[in-house]
Amino acid sequence: MLERMFIRGQLRDPGWYQFLFGNVAMAPLWTLARLYLGWQWLQAGWHKVTGDGWIDSDGASLRAFWERATAIPERGAPPIRYDWYRDFLSYMLDHRWYEGFAYVIAFGEVFVGLALITGALTGFAALAGATMNFNFMLAGSASTNPVLFILAVLVLLAWKVAGFIGLDRWLLPLLGTPWQPGRLFSLGLPPRRRRRGGGLGRPAPA
Amino acid sequence: MKYALLALGVLAWAGVAGVAVLMADVDEPVLGFFPIAGAVIAAWVIGEYVTEVIWKGDRRA
Repeated sequence: MLERMFIRGQLRDPGWYQFLFGNVAMAPLWTLARLYLGWQWLQAGWHKVTGDGWIDSDGASLRAFWERATAIPERGAPPIRYDWYRDFLSYMLDHRWYEGFAYVIAFGEVFVGLALITGALTGFAALAGATMNFNFMLAGSASTNPVLFILAVLVLLAWKVAGFIGLDRWLLPLLGTPWQPGRLFSLGLPPRRRRRGGGLGRPAPA
Repeated sequence: MKYALLALGVLAWAGVAGVAVLMADVDEPVLGFFPIAGAVIAAWVIGEYVTEVIWKGDRRA
């Protein structure tokens, strides 16, 4: 009964949405968005890895950023609007978590950049990038974060085709999804009837 | 032959990562972006060729 209720309640996406976010004809557009996003992340991460204040000095730059973000000025609004997020950053600051997080952020940005550029697990990379943008914005840093966040969300919506001109062209059919295992996880199993849609990375049969 | 082509495909994508890292310090958008885009397209074409030769060739045999 529950299954029937879900099937009845399932709303179909309009054709333009399916075309924009799920058709390989749109892969060149998403490749441009993905490459720009990836290059921005790679540049940001690379400057942190090779520059001063992050890896070489136990996260001094991150510590200074967190201190500025958690400070409450005598006049005007504080950089962080949400008390829970200020408490969260203060907790990490008090426990010197900036030493470890400097590595996580610097190398995370490099990996997100490289994953987006090569188109490897694009959806996960865009999600990781959007999560970092979201946290930077919560900490009161606007900079390029709003634009990169919107781009990351769009790439995330187009995860099936955004990496088609990239490694996902081979990775997605190989790995598949939890609801549709790829070739790597179906080796040695008896052949099953193919579902409608033809699988990831392949156009749907007419 | 099959493994050499597979290695070529893997190397092409490793090359994309290499070009991207080389361009990480370039702030000029045109100089930085286009080599990366070119490398991605070249690697994708090589990958398609390798896929065609290795897997589709096997299927025909």
